[in-house]
Amino acid sequence: MSTEHADTTRTETTNGPDGSNDADASAGPADGSAATDATDLDGEDLVLGYPNAPEPVIDGESIAAEPGAVTALVGPNGSGKSTLLKGLATQIAPEDGSVLVDGEDVHAMDAKALARKLGLLSQESTSPNSITVEDLVYHGRYPHRGFFERTTEADAVAVEEAIELAGCGHLRDREVGSLSGGQKQLAWIAMVLAQDTDVLLLDEPTTFLDMHHQMEVMEIIETLRDESDVTVVVVLHDIEQAARLADRMVALKDGEIRARGAPEEIVTEELLADVFRVDADVVQTENGPRVTPLRARHE
Amino acid sequence: MSGEGSIAAGAARRREDGRIGWLFDPKLVTVALASVAVVVAGGLVQVSFGAYSMTVGEAWRAVLDPAVLLDVHWLLSFLLGEGAMRSLTGFQGELPELAHGTLIVWNIRLPRVFVAALVGMNLGISGAIFQAVTRNELASPFILGVSSGAGLMILLTLVVFGGLSAFLPLIAALGGAVAFLIVYAIAWKNGTSPVRLVLAGVIVGTVFNSLQTGLFFFADDIGVVQSAIQWTTGSLTGTDWDQVRMALPWTVVAVALSLAGSRQLNLLLLGEQTAKSLGMSIEKVRFALSGVAVLAAAASIAVAGIVSFVGLIVPHMVRNLVGSDYKRVIVGCLFVGPALMVAADVGARLGMGVITGADSQIPVGIVTGLIGGPYFLYLMRRQQNMGEL
Repeated sequence: MSTEHADTTRTETTNGPDGSNDADASAGPADGSAATDATDLDGEDLVLGYPNAPEPVIDGESIAAEPGAVTALVGPNGSGKSTLLKGLATQIAPEDGSVLVDGEDVHAMDAKALARKLGLLSQESTSPNSITVEDLVYHGRYPHRGFFERTTEADAVAVEEAIELAGCGHLRDREVGSLSGGQKQLAWIAMVLAQDTDVLLLDEPTTFLDMHHQMEVMEIIETLRDESDVTVVVVLHDIEQAARLADRMVALKDGEIRARGAPEEIVTEELLADVFRVDADVVQTENGPRVTPLRARHE
Repeated sequence: MSGEGSIAAGAARRREDGRIGWLFDPKLVTVALASVAVVVAGGLVQVSFGAYSMTVGEAWRAVLDPAVLLDVHWLLSFLLGEGAMRSLTGFQGELPELAHGTLIVWNIRLPRVFVAALVGMNLGISGAIFQAVTRNELASPFILGVSSGAGLMILLTLVVFGGLSAFLPLIAALGGAVAFLIVYAIAWKNGTSPVRLVLAGVIVGTVFNSLQTGLFFFADDIGVVQSAIQWTTGSLTGTDWDQVRMALPWTVVAVALSLAGSRQLNLLLLGEQTAKSLGMSIEKVRFALSGVAVLAAAASIAVAGIVSFVGLIVPHMVRNLVGSDYKRVIVGCLFVGPALMVAADVGARLGMGVITGADSQIPVGIVTGLIGGPYFLYLMRRQQNMGEL
């Protein structure tokens, strides 16, 4: 059964819903084969809020993640970027609007079927301390398994690839409670990678990590961008990191999308002044734009 | 990709584990063997001592008496009841005579040990499930209103509807289940959350407990009050094969369901967000698992009343011993629960005799409370942060 699941997912990915993907691919820039197989993720006129807040955080915004590429959401604290991501991940039910994966409304989809297409790495993840990394990663296979099924060859392959890609093979028999923050993050990333989804949503995956582990995480996302068809949407705090990683960037402020486009169009002194309220120098380097914040703007 | 080799190795390792490989975890096996030893020792004490005293050797011989063990009619009539045995086997004659000691052991003392073991199992898995569902290691089988609902129904039956007392076990179990549904309804607001469930449990518990205490004033007979106290503190006095027959089928069902649900329980421990993003239908799973836990708790209430602390500390001990994987936790509870319960019942049945020389028994719930309190004190002293799982 489980292999069937895996196969279905794969076939669906290649075929897509009739036409729509091919149309996108031909309309979009000639990215080669990558774009043809990749999955669309669209949020349309999303109104997102929290039960206890009177005003919605996001009030009618649309966003389309570029298939097979990395889209970065940036913005100051409280700009609604994490809320938007949670809305796309169906962790928050939208008050209005809809989220579509390959044209299909996610709220009409079966929970497990959706989890085979769309994965989320939350900002805070908790787990029992005594679970091993390998067991944690195997939990990522949940949506591919039936109620009584044991793990199959396909599960083992997906888990090994995920552990390999996340670079946490040396941690596999360690207990999660004994890991550092950065190592934990790698284990959790391996878990969502094992989920083997077409769309991956990452909520501030580098925040609170040391430099080494930030680079580890960035490299994983770069590998996904360059070598796979996974559509990635990532919320990042660090605008330089975002510019370096992303094919497209979306800048939010006060729950509104203020700008979207390629990194070099977004990371400008004007935008930093407008969205982040800082005066900054922006210099283009071979590693992407370098931002030197000068002072906070008070107006 | 360093590739094929490591993938094959990992897959092979998982396959070796297979369906039952995880059972042979050395820690789990040790826990199970130690628990069985406690149950056997406690059981031997229970069958040896009492108004009709035997030596341990006599007790052994009575337990292993071939006149029972090798006689399918006797075994069936104990396990299913004499009527069921006769209609099942078509056996018409008299059951063969048994020795006096064998009769006492098999009719009176052994079933009590079995009931204790079943109650321990049920409370153990019930507590384990509730602790995962509420993600709180201080949760017990009685946290979601189960005990207060059962207690209220017990009081109502004994004080107001005396004519129904024959159905007391069923009514108590039913009261627990209904209270659980009320708690769930109160907690529901676009779905539930562990905190809302626990709070709703407190609300329902407070109201029901007040009603319960109020009902005591209307009890005009000291016998009724004593009976009510026995039920609400949990007691195994006077249990026999009827109780075994009542609890066993539900125990089997609850154990099977909780083992089947262990992977869901493991996933719940990763937090609601993660479980949801992995495609779990949280509300359905949470309700279904709670239902299994209530079933297990109800089975134990029906035969022993409300035994406190067992469901709280058993999953705790097991988790400390075998780790947090719920497959192992559930199996561990199936052994540690009976061990604790059988040992506590030794104290409840014989303790007063040893201490005061009087020939009276105390409810086993008092003994479990006396064990449970200090155990928690010890944990509190040793562990920095308790509470969240």
